[in-house]
Amino acid sequence: MNVPAAAKRRITIRRPTASFAEEGGAPSFELGRNIAGVRVGIRHDGTWRSWQYVARVWADLLRRDGAIPVLLQTGERTGPEGEKTRADLEAWHERIDCAVSGLGTCGSCTMWSVRDAIGVEARGKPVAAAICEEFVGHARTTASFLGHPELKVLVLPYPLETLSETELLPIAEESYPRFLALIGARR
Amino acid sequence: MELASPTLEIDDDPEAFFQLSLAEGWGDGAPLLPPTDERVEALLEATALAPSHTIGKLPPRHGTATIELIAINATMAGVEPAAFPLVIAALEALVRPEFNAIALTTTTSSVHPTLIVNGPSRDKLRIDYRAGCLGGAAGRGSMTIGRAVSLCLRNVGGQRAGATSRSVFGQPARFGQCFAEWEERSPWPTLAERQGFARDQDVVTLHGSKGDFPVADTNNDDPRDLAYMLAKCIAYPLSNYYLELTGDCGQIVVVINPMWAERFGRAFASLESFQEYLREQAWQPIELWRPANREVLRRKGRVDAQGRVYLVHRPEQLVPVVAGGLGSLHAMFLPSWCQSEMQSAAVHGAYWTPELLAAALDEARALVRSDGADLILVEADPARARVVLRLEVGDETCATGACVMPGDTLRPMIAEVLSRHLRGALGLQLIDPRVG
Repeated sequence: MNVPAAAKRRITIRRPTASFAEEGGAPSFELGRNIAGVRVGIRHDGTWRSWQYVARVWADLLRRDGAIPVLLQTGERTGPEGEKTRADLEAWHERIDCAVSGLGTCGSCTMWSVRDAIGVEARGKPVAAAICEEFVGHARTTASFLGHPELKVLVLPYPLETLSETELLPIAEESYPRFLALIGARR
Repeated sequence: MELASPTLEIDDDPEAFFQLSLAEGWGDGAPLLPPTDERVEALLEATALAPSHTIGKLPPRHGTATIELIAINATMAGVEPAAFPLVIAALEALVRPEFNAIALTTTTSSVHPTLIVNGPSRDKLRIDYRAGCLGGAAGRGSMTIGRAVSLCLRNVGGQRAGATSRSVFGQPARFGQCFAEWEERSPWPTLAERQGFARDQDVVTLHGSKGDFPVADTNNDDPRDLAYMLAKCIAYPLSNYYLELTGDCGQIVVVINPMWAERFGRAFASLESFQEYLREQAWQPIELWRPANREVLRRKGRVDAQGRVYLVHRPEQLVPVVAGGLGSLHAMFLPSWCQSEMQSAAVHGAYWTPELLAAALDEARALVRSDGADLILVEADPARARVVLRLEVGDETCATGACVMPGDTLRPMIAEVLSRHLRGALGLQLIDPRVG
């Protein structure tokens, strides 16, 4: 039997969702000078061989341009190892003028690359998160709701991990000047 | 009761709410109960915490988890009022930094919080621990408490597959997974006791699990041989543990059926010796992996002098939990993806307002004051739902204190009073000077 619409009972329910107001818009920064003499942090998490290779290539290029690469490998984030990772990051922040934090090529590693980049940006230093194309949306969303919507993102091809060093070398060489441009450095 | 969440009017028709939930993305694709004020308030009555009280921020989008929002989501999941405090306890455990929920909710991995419950409320709340406890037994507690946590992650945390969550496959537990330990059939201390709680407390343990991996055996009569094979299964070559820099992170829950637990309990002198044996055998020879993979493991320092690649670093990372039917023959292991540490929270522990505690103590003191004695509060630990009281037999009592009820009689009476006021089971220690 069809109940006429006017006779249908109505109920009131509560919405189950939280509001996701973004926590402000922290600024990003630019170097505004020549890269020579600058201490450039390169952060990796020891997982992605491709990014570690790119980091080695970039370290050589930075030295060539008179800059000082400061590499950091982050470890676990929980337990005793987690405390060491936090301490290592703190110490690294003091030793750098700018940085790149990567590699975002999975869900949590993208999130951690962004968070560690934000750690640098929160200290007023220029930084870019190195993120593979598939995870760029995830990176930008994460940065936004962590209050850093302007965080610079260096987009790299996806996937990188299956590439040989011969295939990675041109990618590393092509992305290096893009990274410098992003953080406002000149050669 | 003053509720803050916005309201919406809909037809009083289950299909109407179901369709709305699908359109709004509020649910998991299965029907939900409409969160009317009557239903939500029934859950809120089950906790002393105010609707506006916040547990913390839920990842990945850091939505603020108020008790009211948790109750709305728990209502939709079908949680009954008596079970609501377990949902709260689970979320309290989830927001701790060591659980690392921000990474857990965004990873490409299949990991999701699995709830393991201990304590006297398992049966009342129908949290499954016998046959079918990991799926199929259909106890209301098991099917709804875990689901409530999942809905909170979706609606309060903003976890969305493909968007904020990059999980490649997800897993069935994303609907919600909650089971209990069959404590009475375990030869060892309960999981909650190992986590530092008392046996008479209701405790929820959160484990970031990648899924349920079943193993079966009919061949190994010697329990040490069976434990050896179990360890080799757990150390499977594409385990997340072999992707990490070290094996020193996270836990693997090993759910053991009661018949096997009995055999292991006889064969190993203690839980610790069982865990150590499992750890010692949970390795694979480096030759198992392909050459390029071997190089990665060597570079990470994971290969020892004998060419063994051990799965985990510490025995306590392998966490036996007794549950399942009496059909024997099977175990399940629930590995983590390593970047999350198991967390436990007592139910009701954080809800002890000073007023509630004072009222509870006043009534408890009345049990002994007529005999001239008193109860002194030594410690109240809300985080562990634990109270320590000292009985004082003063000058007005008889010299030996024999006129005051014996401790064996007094203690459960005090525990009942405290539990009633503080709305849940708790751990009570009564220091009785009459006992040596």
